[in-house]
Amino acid sequence: MQLPSQIIEATGIEKYYGTYRALKNMSLSVATGEFLALVGPSGCGKTSLLKILAGFEDLSGGSLMIDGRDMAGVPASERPTRMVFQKLALFPHKTVAQNIGFPLHLAKRPKPEIGAAVRRMLELMHLKESYLNRYPHELSGGEQQRVALARSMVSQPQVLLLDEPMSALDAKLKKSLQAELKRLHRQVGTSFVHVTHDLEEAMMLADRICVMRAGEIIQLGAPAEIYYRPADAFVASFIGDTNLLPARLSPAQDGFTFDCATLSCTQPQLHAQQVAPGAENGAALVMIRPEMLRLLAPGEDAECVIEGEVAEYFIRGASIQYRVATRDGTEIVMDIPGTSVLPARNGEAVRLGLSVADIFVVRG
Amino acid sequence: MTQKNGIPMFSPNRRGFLQGMGAAGLVGAAGLTPRKARAATAMQYMCWEGYDKASIIQPFEAAQDVTLSIDLITDSPGGFAKLAAGAWRDFDAVSSDSPWIQRMGPAGIAEFIDAGEFADVYDSFYEQFRAPFAPLEFDGQITGLPTRWGWVGPTVNTQFDDLDKWSSYAPCFDPDYKDKICVLDWGDWPIMPMALYAGINPYKELDDAELNEIRLVLRALFKNTRAVVADLSVAQKGLMDGSFRTLIGGGTYCTSALRKDGQKHIMSIVPEPKDGLNQGIIWMEATGIVKDPVDPAKAKALLRHLTSPEVAVELAWTEATCNLVPSQQAEALFSDEQKDVLQMDYMWEAWDKSHFHDVAPNIDQMLEIWQQELAAAR
Amino acid sequence: MAVMDKSWRDAALRISTLPLLLLFATFFVIPLVMTVLLSFQGTQYYRLVWTWDLKVWADVFGQAHYWKIMWRTLTMALICTLLCSVLAIPIAYAMVNRLGRWSEHVMLLMVFAFLTDAVLKTFGWVLFLDRSGVLNGTLQALGLPPSAVNVLFTPSATMIGMVYNLLPYAIFTTALSMARIDRDLLLASYDAGASRVRSFFEVTLPLSRPGISAGAVLVFVLSLGVFLEPKVMGGGTSPMAAELIRQSFETRVNWPLGAALTVVLIVIGAAVLALAGSVAILRARRAA
Repeated sequence: MQLPSQIIEATGIEKYYGTYRALKNMSLSVATGEFLALVGPSGCGKTSLLKILAGFEDLSGGSLMIDGRDMAGVPASERPTRMVFQKLALFPHKTVAQNIGFPLHLAKRPKPEIGAAVRRMLELMHLKESYLNRYPHELSGGEQQRVALARSMVSQPQVLLLDEPMSALDAKLKKSLQAELKRLHRQVGTSFVHVTHDLEEAMMLADRICVMRAGEIIQLGAPAEIYYRPADAFVASFIGDTNLLPARLSPAQDGFTFDCATLSCTQPQLHAQQVAPGAENGAALVMIRPEMLRLLAPGEDAECVIEGEVAEYFIRGASIQYRVATRDGTEIVMDIPGTSVLPARNGEAVRLGLSVADIFVVRG
Repeated sequence: MTQKNGIPMFSPNRRGFLQGMGAAGLVGAAGLTPRKARAATAMQYMCWEGYDKASIIQPFEAAQDVTLSIDLITDSPGGFAKLAAGAWRDFDAVSSDSPWIQRMGPAGIAEFIDAGEFADVYDSFYEQFRAPFAPLEFDGQITGLPTRWGWVGPTVNTQFDDLDKWSSYAPCFDPDYKDKICVLDWGDWPIMPMALYAGINPYKELDDAELNEIRLVLRALFKNTRAVVADLSVAQKGLMDGSFRTLIGGGTYCTSALRKDGQKHIMSIVPEPKDGLNQGIIWMEATGIVKDPVDPAKAKALLRHLTSPEVAVELAWTEATCNLVPSQQAEALFSDEQKDVLQMDYMWEAWDKSHFHDVAPNIDQMLEIWQQELAAAR
Repeated sequence: MAVMDKSWRDAALRISTLPLLLLFATFFVIPLVMTVLLSFQGTQYYRLVWTWDLKVWADVFGQAHYWKIMWRTLTMALICTLLCSVLAIPIAYAMVNRLGRWSEHVMLLMVFAFLTDAVLKTFGWVLFLDRSGVLNGTLQALGLPPSAVNVLFTPSATMIGMVYNLLPYAIFTTALSMARIDRDLLLASYDAGASRVRSFFEVTLPLSRPGISAGAVLVFVLSLGVFLEPKVMGGGTSPMAAELIRQSFETRVNWPLGAALTVVLIVIGAAVLALAGSVAILRARRAA
């Protein structure tokens, strides 16, 4: 059978809870084998969308196709999807082996086959075989996480739905599990739809990121696109300490000119690609990622310069973060590579440099 | 003294039994100082249902400036045992079945009364109840005054059966009456009539052969029994709708309240004597003064109150049951309707064909037989 | 488990539980000990005599009918426990998972019924089940012969009464257990491919076991002591232990005998619970 290139095709999805409209005319497709992250603040509808994909919630409107089949009226138990729950939802009365083998047990697979599959998953998840007869509460948080993953992957689903499964873990464990999730995705080739409120996590894991707000898709694209070409200030400020400076944009030949009080540029001219749709006219915000800025040595020049004095600095290992106060009272965040000799101290007057090409403008 | 299964049983004759009671009473009372008599503002009264009627209690409380706390008993031996176990110290008066009141004086848990002091009360009674009144007497000493009475015999719903049908307890054992007999679960009451039907006077000392006869008659009775019922209203309901053709162990106590409500087709009768043995039983309740009342004068006043003709009428006429009273003077205060309800035209005929209820010497063996046969019935 | 073990070694904790311990000793252990001691006494002339002998016990062990009634009580209690546990499961499930906003109303109605005087309810049943009662009247109106259901005053009626009066205990404990099950576990089960029915048996039922067991223990203990149901609905012709004990105490005024029969009943009840408990522990160990 020819695999459809789009494993999930959602068209014009609507979801109401009473009169509350949780999803608004949403269309989205996921390619076979793709890792898609759904990102947004709580209440944006990302979890509702995931539940609709899983079959835990009905659609109020629109259509959903998974693997070329219309999912209308198809219960969760008959969908080619598997969910990894936020609180893992491991069965406390079943052993690790019974938990992992549960979907196969339900599918009435022969016992040896279930045993072999469970062992294979154990190996894939780097879990010890001695855990097989333990109960979930006898495992650590990270181990439980792996068991939950193993349970949802054991029957080789076509789509794996992940509902913020890392949110309860500490930062270090989270990092190692994120790396592992990425590896798993490569190894099994299943499509992953991963819900998270952490854009950083999404950027690390996903092929594409879908940023949502108030039941709508704000932006859908590759991590680099989301990071460097955010659709609006909301997306831009969703990750890191982004500098957003008020500016005015006016059309010019081959692009735009801009006027920003904080920023003095020799040639304030932008290409059309450097301007987000909707920002073409009037009030705009200039987005400067902290790592785009550099500290200028005395007499050194740059295409654009910001003047101010160091308010604070943090040594963060690989980088040093400066918070620079400009004369008009704006605070600018700058990340520069770490060095053993501190280039500037609190209160010191500094000049920050920037290339015009690193500027991106969103609607104000 | 007979012994059965290690439990000391009643002595061969009533006299010995009463003496034994007295001895036990003295042991029980030894070393206890009586409460000091004083004007009481509160009295404790142990009684059967009916005596607690507001129209009886309230006038007494008002007249004597006293509050009566009522403790209702559901079982005469249980009430006796409670007083004997030490509760006599708390109570001032008691109304219970006459055999138990009779025993309370000799047992040292009730005061004897002076017949002379209550001569006027006796004069107001029917002559059958006048002093010397044997059922409440022991060695010439009287405990308590009679207050209510009636007879035990077949209860008949004449819509289903003729009265003649029940001139004997024979239908209880008739296959036609299978599953139509209700036995009242009231201690010894249902056992006594069945013993009489078997030709045995249960109020005598019985030998093993006689006890076995009682076993057989109970076994036969249980074959026809639809239910063993403790609750009067369940029994009455069955009698009314015909599912119970009679209630064994009951009589006027079960039927009079139905007659009061206009169900005149419900009657209690006494069977005809069988082989020279009366088949009916007269039951009587009496009221006595518990040993060392707080205020002896008020305790005596309660006795006078309960036996006065006006109160006797109230006592005869209560919600759950209607009963006869010993007061002849009260008869004039009853309406013709009330007399009809109480079957007063039949009362002396019933009296003449009956035994007077007493504690049977072999009652514990009979109750044990009852338990055994009931356990084996189904 | 480790936490519990440790807490028992904590002196402060042990002292803080002392009042409760004393309360238990006063209101539970002492009456029990007194009941046991009472069974070694005798009666004479309707009074207790301090004989300190085994005569009452010889009587108890020598009389088959006591044991017949005890056996009947035990089997009735076990059947009642089984019926209540089995009936409570779907009712509790419906209340927790299916009735939605109606479940509170249903719960309220049940609490009302539960708190209504048992005597009233039992009489209601008599009127309902009687040969000329509501049930037979209805059936007759539907074309069945008169008195089609002749169940009143039989052991079956006793059982109906027992189940009716004790079922709420099983429902409440089971529902409590079911309500505590994380809804995600059911979703996880559906997600793994289980139908609703399958999920019920794979997830809901095993995780409701604590509530079902607690309900079963409650129902069992209470049904050993039922009194009204055999007497009123059962027609008194199949007496159970509580009635036997009442007769011994009240009608026969034989307190030592009543005490001995009480001890027998308590021992039977405790033995059954201990047996059930050890079976459960054994099963849990084997599973682990």
